[in-house]
Amino acid sequence: MSLFYLSWPLKQLWKAALSVKIFHYLVSLFKDGMIAVMRTGPVPKHIALIMDGNRRYAKTKQLPLEEGHSAGAESLVDVLNVCYKVGIEQVTVYAFSIENFNRPKQEVDTLFGLLRDKLRFLSQNEESFASQNKIIIRILGNRSMIPADILHDLEFVEAKTKDFDTKKVFNVCFPYTSRDEIAAAIRSVVEARKSEEITIDSLNASMYFGPNSPPLDILIRTSGHQRLSDFMLWQCNYNCTIEFVQTLWPDFGFYSITKILLKWSYYKALQLEEESFTGMKKNPTKHVSDILKLLPPPPPFASVNQR
Amino acid sequence: MTVDHDIPHNRLAARPPPQDVSLRPDTSPDSPLQPPSYAGRSIGQVCLSLAKMLVGKNKPAAPSTPETSITSAVLFVINHTILLQIFFLLSIYKSIQYLYRKVALKYLTLAYYPNKSPHVIRDDVNKLTKIPKNISCILNLKHEDDENGGIDGLINQISEIAAWSLSAGVPQLSIYEYTGLVNRNHAAYLPLLTKDLSKNLANYFGTASIPTYSIRIPHKNIITYSAPGTTKVDLEITLLSRVDGKPTIVELTKTMSDLAINNELSVNDISIDLIDEELVELVGPEPDLVVCFAPYLDLQDYPPWHIRLSEIYWEQDNKDVNYAVFIRALKLYAHCKINVGK
Repeated sequence: MSLFYLSWPLKQLWKAALSVKIFHYLVSLFKDGMIAVMRTGPVPKHIALIMDGNRRYAKTKQLPLEEGHSAGAESLVDVLNVCYKVGIEQVTVYAFSIENFNRPKQEVDTLFGLLRDKLRFLSQNEESFASQNKIIIRILGNRSMIPADILHDLEFVEAKTKDFDTKKVFNVCFPYTSRDEIAAAIRSVVEARKSEEITIDSLNASMYFGPNSPPLDILIRTSGHQRLSDFMLWQCNYNCTIEFVQTLWPDFGFYSITKILLKWSYYKALQLEEESFTGMKKNPTKHVSDILKLLPPPPPFASVNQR
Repeated sequence: MTVDHDIPHNRLAARPPPQDVSLRPDTSPDSPLQPPSYAGRSIGQVCLSLAKMLVGKNKPAAPSTPETSITSAVLFVINHTILLQIFFLLSIYKSIQYLYRKVALKYLTLAYYPNKSPHVIRDDVNKLTKIPKNISCILNLKHEDDENGGIDGLINQISEIAAWSLSAGVPQLSIYEYTGLVNRNHAAYLPLLTKDLSKNLANYFGTASIPTYSIRIPHKNIITYSAPGTTKVDLEITLLSRVDGKPTIVELTKTMSDLAINNELSVNDISIDLIDEELVELVGPEPDLVVCFAPYLDLQDYPPWHIRLSEIYWEQDNKDVNYAVFIRALKLYAHCKINVGK
């Protein structure tokens, strides 16, 4: 936490500097430049965020809990902005875990209300974020656990954005746990009672994310915990970069997400280069088995004892 | 190279058949899982690759929208060049970081040296406030020509980790190895493993009283005890591989589907608890701590159901199975705060 107190005056200074118009302009020019640069490299298709640390943020700053959550929502909008501009198709956030129902009722209600307000704010009118950037908002999770009035509002938000002709999707996991998702997928596969063979793909298709969702490339968890807390276990355990970041979620902004995306892009670029290199080498070996048949015919036999 | 010549003892209905190792067509079960190639790349190679990307044919094509004009193409080339410059700087930074981490790891290896003595390990562990009950280690099968590679290297690593766990007082250990080399050829390799393990434990604990252990391969439904006749052991070892992950869940779904068709199971009865109960029986309990002995974190298709709340630990740029990583993982676990949902 000592680091936090050190960075506090620096942050104030940064804010003051940003209030000077020309400086603000230069910074936003730099950000747009970075995004344009990142667009030209390999870009992940699907990233997931565990937004941890809102409460700790509020505690260290001695703010009410609600302020912590709304600061988190603000930084989410920042991060989403970067992600969609860079060209990421799907962003998934862990908005509310089924285990979160263990929290005090007052906080649960606050969280529900906040989520509803923020989603409405994102999609309400023509100028709002989701409408302007044409982003489809999907609510994924166990809907039977959402109170009726909030569910009604959420479905309204979903209906409003679902007709956009776009690949950009914002998945809100609410209320979600991965085990619940796997159990639901098993139930729906069993319920279908199809005669065809059950494979890994039929389970994949029955997950909340649906069959058309691209595989997860990056999973980010803020505030330093090194565990997955029941989030996207099925999706993140193969070919996925998992990043545990020390920053608290409200402090996670443009620079943090850029750092992670650049790192991923760097490794991916090298991997692609390597694959194209080794791939060229591998191709001729495919026909090795045919070599005997491809050889020209040998000269006629001349044997003493077999005529 | 490796042929499955054993008869599976299918006692449980939901046991997956042994031939389902090739569920993912792109990775042949016989080829050892290679860590992504960037893991131990030298700066020269990186520079070469970057230079190739700049001049090569296979760079990403500029967006070919109808309004593609010369300006946008030029802008794309400029931006892409800037990106490659950033990558170049990154590669220098990464090399320095790699060097720094290697030195740090070397220092740690010297600082935490178990000296094949359980007392030293127990002393280290007793400084911690809590330890996990179930540790899971993700091991990588290295190429046979490498140091600690092939089946011998793998068996060596398992024996060492088992000795550390026993000394630390952890009663359950599960070893995850993607290809499941030992699991598939247990008739040949399990005797090798028990021999090596007993020898190593004798090195640690003396020949007078070697701790007892059991080795379980859940996928084949095999369990062997070091001392025949006793089922109460000091350390329970479970060997897991890729087939214990998603393929087992698929098999479970098949079994449940069959039961549902015969009206022996109602769909509404399939709850998280039921699945959990079945999977604990089929694979094993949920580990408290997962230690990945690889230079970067890759879960390698680890059973997804089981990593729900596990602490995950790995050491950047570390390729070896060494005690320093093990004890540091235990330290992380001692400091973590477990609060489900709160």
